[in-house]
Amino acid sequence: MDDLVRLGLAAAQTAGIQYADIRVSARQRYEHLAVRNGEASALTRSDRAGVGIRVRSAGAWGFAAVSSLEPARVRECARLAVRTALAAARYNRGPLEVLETRTPRKGRYASKVRRDPFEIPLEEKLEYLLAAEQALHVDPAVKNGHASFHAWSEEKWFGDSTGGSFRSEITHVGAGMDATAVATGEVQRRSAPTSFGGDYRQAGWEFIQALDLPGQSSTVGKEAVALLSAKVCPKGPTTLVLATDQLALQVHESVGHATELDRIYAMEAGFAGTSFLAPGDIGSLRYGSEGMNIVADATEPGGLGTFGWDDEGIAARATPIVDHGTLVGVLSSRETARKLGLPESGGTSRAEGYYRAPLIRMTNIDLLPGDHSMDELLDGVGEGVFMATNRSWSIDDKRLNFQFGTEVGRRIHRGELGELYRNPIYSGNTPEFWGSMDAVGDGSTWHLWGVPNCGKGQPQQVARVGHGAPAARFRNVAVRGGQ
Amino acid sequence: MSERSEALATLERVLDLLPANAAADVRLMRDRTGTMRFANGQIHQPHLERSSIVSLRVVLEAKIGIATAGDLTPAGLRRLAASAQKLARVAPADPKFPAFESDDGPLPKIRFSRATAEMTPEGLARLAAGALDGAREVLPDARISGAVHVGTEQLAVANTSGRARYAERAFSQGSVLAELPQRDPPVSGWAEGAHWDARRLDPAALGRRAAETVARSAPASLKPAAYRVLLQPAAFAELIGFLGFLGFNARGDEEGWGALRGKRGRKVAAPAVRLTDDGTSEDGIPQAMDYEGHAKRRHPLLVRGVAGAPVTDLRSAARAGTVPTGHGTPPESPYGDWGPTPTQQLLEPGSASFDDLVKRVKNGLLVTRFHYVRVVHAGKSTITGMTRDGTYRIENGAVTTPVKNLRFTESVLGALASVEALGRERYRLGDEGGYASITVPAAAIGRFRFNSATAF
Repeated sequence: MDDLVRLGLAAAQTAGIQYADIRVSARQRYEHLAVRNGEASALTRSDRAGVGIRVRSAGAWGFAAVSSLEPARVRECARLAVRTALAAARYNRGPLEVLETRTPRKGRYASKVRRDPFEIPLEEKLEYLLAAEQALHVDPAVKNGHASFHAWSEEKWFGDSTGGSFRSEITHVGAGMDATAVATGEVQRRSAPTSFGGDYRQAGWEFIQALDLPGQSSTVGKEAVALLSAKVCPKGPTTLVLATDQLALQVHESVGHATELDRIYAMEAGFAGTSFLAPGDIGSLRYGSEGMNIVADATEPGGLGTFGWDDEGIAARATPIVDHGTLVGVLSSRETARKLGLPESGGTSRAEGYYRAPLIRMTNIDLLPGDHSMDELLDGVGEGVFMATNRSWSIDDKRLNFQFGTEVGRRIHRGELGELYRNPIYSGNTPEFWGSMDAVGDGSTWHLWGVPNCGKGQPQQVARVGHGAPAARFRNVAVRGGQ
Repeated sequence: MSERSEALATLERVLDLLPANAAADVRLMRDRTGTMRFANGQIHQPHLERSSIVSLRVVLEAKIGIATAGDLTPAGLRRLAASAQKLARVAPADPKFPAFESDDGPLPKIRFSRATAEMTPEGLARLAAGALDGAREVLPDARISGAVHVGTEQLAVANTSGRARYAERAFSQGSVLAELPQRDPPVSGWAEGAHWDARRLDPAALGRRAAETVARSAPASLKPAAYRVLLQPAAFAELIGFLGFLGFNARGDEEGWGALRGKRGRKVAAPAVRLTDDGTSEDGIPQAMDYEGHAKRRHPLLVRGVAGAPVTDLRSAARAGTVPTGHGTPPESPYGDWGPTPTQQLLEPGSASFDDLVKRVKNGLLVTRFHYVRVVHAGKSTITGMTRDGTYRIENGAVTTPVKNLRFTESVLGALASVEALGRERYRLGDEGGYASITVPAAAIGRFRFNSATAF
């Protein structure tokens, strides 16, 4: 693969090109196993390879990708990348400037995996999923049981025209289950460990085993059935305690995306949107309460957003984003860091695969734990609502107005969790919401989640990102029940 | 050898690798796509991609395995066949999975745009520049963003029952956002379009339309409530798209979460709402067949507001006791796991001009488009999202002042039941990959609920 890297770079360095980088994906594998009501709904494996070449002229980026490792096709890919850059540059005004950064010399990164998920016998994996799914059917009202497993791995070689190179082998896994209960006029679903297909980690099959899905199934099935007859979540401003999984999504939508510097600089305006943040807010904007501490950490063991170097060859690092409620950092790339006047890139440029150019993506965006146990969070609530497990999510294009629905809610009454609520929804405005957070759960409530499906860019691409979050308490939040 | 012959020969080689007792279908998807994306008035993210992927679904004694690969060499195809069989051997049996079908007549003839297929990077950049110039013509100070996508797909599908089909399709799609971020609050406008022939996309017109939608005065706050609305095609298309997934996905009926479960043959929308799915229509982005090789044809979804049958693929049709409607997705994709959904939806236009529609609404809101729309409750077809890029008051039958963006939470079926009039002009809208299109007019709707607002 080193030869292919050199070949691609050589073909890309032609007249008018100032820089080139290449990602050779020698093997990009994906496995998806899923069972639904005792039948296999997906038993699929994908095995792809290819090359993506990015170049920079004085006035524009260029990018081309090909699903082949044949030298002639790679040379053609390089020529196409150059043509796109020169074609775009004809219409651009002003130079394209990026930070010049030293990239690694023969770096190497590999996920720590005890049991390679692709080597586990299929029978073992299916047996696990079937056991989990079967036990969801605790009641005839459970019409649909579903359990799934996903695994990804990529062997990637990176090289750039400054002589930088690294090789990485990254493995991600995830599994989850859900039960859908149906009664006349009502449908309710309950998922575990959480929704979006479950929990995910940069790890091997050992992580899936530790999830112990079969051990939780009957509880999941029972809760789905119980939700059918639960009271609709009442309406009103109230105290809200969010479970760790829902809070992870809150961080993703209202902090992670808002702090992507390409959004702040309107480079995503045409699709995903911009941000309510401006560059001048860094260091001064009040994002939330004192208990709000957020870090973007690409070195966090086991995170989906963990790597050795990003897809621009920048070493992984931890960057503070919010410090005691004040915005102190953003997610940046070489181009956007230059624009902001940062001394170096934040190292957050990643692509879904060889077939996409890298964009700023979240790494592991964590809300750091506070010092309240779950009992202490609840103790401070005379009357309120506890919500867990995302069901719907929507936020405006500057990441301000949001509305989230969860699968389950519970009444909190005098510090105790009480009756079940169905169709709970809460909404708010980002800085006000985070400003209303008056207690943050401690390490016992904290969990590192994986979000497998963060979409961005045109053409669209998906990133797998991590979010560590505790439970937390918020005051005076608009809550209601969806009808 | 022609591309058609070469593609089918590749598929035949794959099927020849399987044992005699295997049933299988296999598809080759050869995509050539290009995107010129622009922001801050610059083309900042060009993208060209060439990919060839083979996807094989093997059935061994009612057990199914699926493998996908990009390596089309003999060794690569052998690994593909081995991988799919390995998965099939361990799968739980699915005795309801039907037999694959042979060809039952020719595919519909679809016009294929050679000009789109032959689009160069330079030509694509010219299209993007056209969008920028169009917007600047109307609003020289605007910040312009957007993208132009162009591409082709060669799709070949074969199976062990003798099917061997090949089809090509071409597509283009463009969108333009024009903003005045320096205003307080900032204002913006939007336009998008799609065409199967990139020469007819007209990005410059999209640029002009986006700039014309930008508010010329500061948007005011408006109390969230239920309003009469005029949804422009981009906004109305969102509702129709979600209806497709929530209401006409066969899996929704099968699994109990579908919004039209138990309502087939009943009136669920206003009589003016006449919706079909027709992959052969040039009013959408046409394609001759689905990813299982079933011919595309016209399929009624809402007939004068009455709910028709869901769309199906091979598996869901067999379970429903019907024939496939031509909505099979590549079986290995996550979208395949969600079930078949309409792909080329066309809503019959009405007879109203834009002014007629505004007068019809009389007092309410004009919405250009929606953003970040998500499902709140599938069974009730309740969705939520934000307005974006041009929301205006309609007062006494005229479009007046701009308003800050609002969040809606509304039932799609509820909204369609209160459609009062439809525009006489339809707009073709599509996704960036040309997989799906929605062709709709603007719609005047009697009641549409907004439940909160944002600051801009």
